[in-house]
Amino acid sequence: MSDRRRLAARIAPLALLVLLGAAWVVPAVPGLELGGRGDDARGWATALDALPPEPIVLVGFDPDLGTYAEVRPTVRTLIADLLNRGSRLAFVSVTPEGRALLIAELDRLARAEANPTRVLDLGYLPGAEAALVSLAHELPVGEGTGSLARQLAAGGIGAVDAAVIIGGNDIGPRSWVEQVATRTDELPLLAVAPTILLPELQPYLESGQLVALLATPAAGAAFRDGADVGALERLLEIAPPGPLPILVGMIVAILVLAQAWVGQLTSAVRRMMARDQS
Amino acid sequence: MRRPTLTALIVVVGLVLLADYLIVNEALGQLAGVFVDAAILVAAGAALAAVTSLALRRANDLRHRRGDPVSALLVLGGMAAMLIAGLRPDATGPTDAAVGWLLTALLIPIGATLFGLLFITTLGAARRSIQFGGREALVLVGVAIVTLILLLPLDGGAGSWLADAAAWWLAVPIGAVFRGILIGVAILTAVVAARMLLGVGPSTDE
Repeated sequence: MSDRRRLAARIAPLALLVLLGAAWVVPAVPGLELGGRGDDARGWATALDALPPEPIVLVGFDPDLGTYAEVRPTVRTLIADLLNRGSRLAFVSVTPEGRALLIAELDRLARAEANPTRVLDLGYLPGAEAALVSLAHELPVGEGTGSLARQLAAGGIGAVDAAVIIGGNDIGPRSWVEQVATRTDELPLLAVAPTILLPELQPYLESGQLVALLATPAAGAAFRDGADVGALERLLEIAPPGPLPILVGMIVAILVLAQAWVGQLTSAVRRMMARDQS
Repeated sequence: MRRPTLTALIVVVGLVLLADYLIVNEALGQLAGVFVDAAILVAAGAALAAVTSLALRRANDLRHRRGDPVSALLVLGGMAAMLIAGLRPDATGPTDAAVGWLLTALLIPIGATLFGLLFITTLGAARRSIQFGGREALVLVGVAIVTLILLLPLDGGAGSWLADAAAWWLAVPIGAVFRGILIGVAILTAVVAARMLLGVGPSTDE
């Protein structure tokens, strides 16, 4: 590799960071929209509207550190939306990473003075899939003493009106469909997951095993645009991602990949032609 | 020499869990619950053993001056900080403010940053795979380029067309490939589980 190419390779990541930073601070640009068609977001809104008044929602919180940044703004809007609807939320994690992220989110809710009687931490259950199976038999209410804890201790998962699953690479909506939904009577499952899980979750959405799914940045943005959080705006992400930095990152990726792809394809064609001529 | 104990145990536990799945019976449900609780305890014990093993390995590396001493010190220091924060007198365990700070201010941003760097390393790996990977790599990266173009966040008519095309692209061809892989994995898992239950094939308990 020549000195010039080596220098360019070293500068490229820094230049990318500067470019993304600049795109982040630029205000809204006309012609760009992250929300897209919003079909998935409408499905979510319909599912939430179908819940009874003041529903008990079990939140399976198992995102991973790598992909949580993608779904975090949507998750925070969703929690604010659910609380604004009068929902009572019981959080549980079955992965260590999910638990770490949940502790941070519960801490944030406490600092933002979310109503503590409507939030219950069921803690961490080790065992991944085995833990999910045990959730279907008994919820780990522990020493909780509030009315929500008492209801869940008495009724178990039967007292839950819906389960919202925040998925990650280890445990996601698919595990809930397989291990929990099959052991409960008509518990509606709603899910938020990173894009990487979309292809494996799409069949569950189409079969109705998942009532609603947000699994792309576009679906998340459409949901955030339409959510009604009332006076709970303080619970939202301070600076959710705009379309411009995402567009810049995607264009850089397309250019870098296309340059290598076209170069390799061209040289392959040249080699074939040279072989034919000889 | 084959020892049938473990195979028999797997067969019994598997059949009880399967029966509980199919038959509504309180006693059977309680028995299955005991097995599931035992599995949870084993998983917790395995996680604890893995962490202890990592700590001992890193401490040995430091004592015998093997490997990178800075990374060993960081691992041990991180473990010690989290243990002290959560287990010191008057601490409230995982919900303690000090544990929360370690997670919110250190662990989560560091983890997110490391995964953010994947953007750059994945692009580099994709370029190298094209250079050395041949036809399959060309197809793989070509599909990635098409997917990226379809997902561009554009507004108006072009954006609407791209969104429709992206929905079809993800649901039909890519979805079909994923489903094929999932079905294949499920069949393989069922076959392996059946072989274990029936004691067919090479022994796993030797």
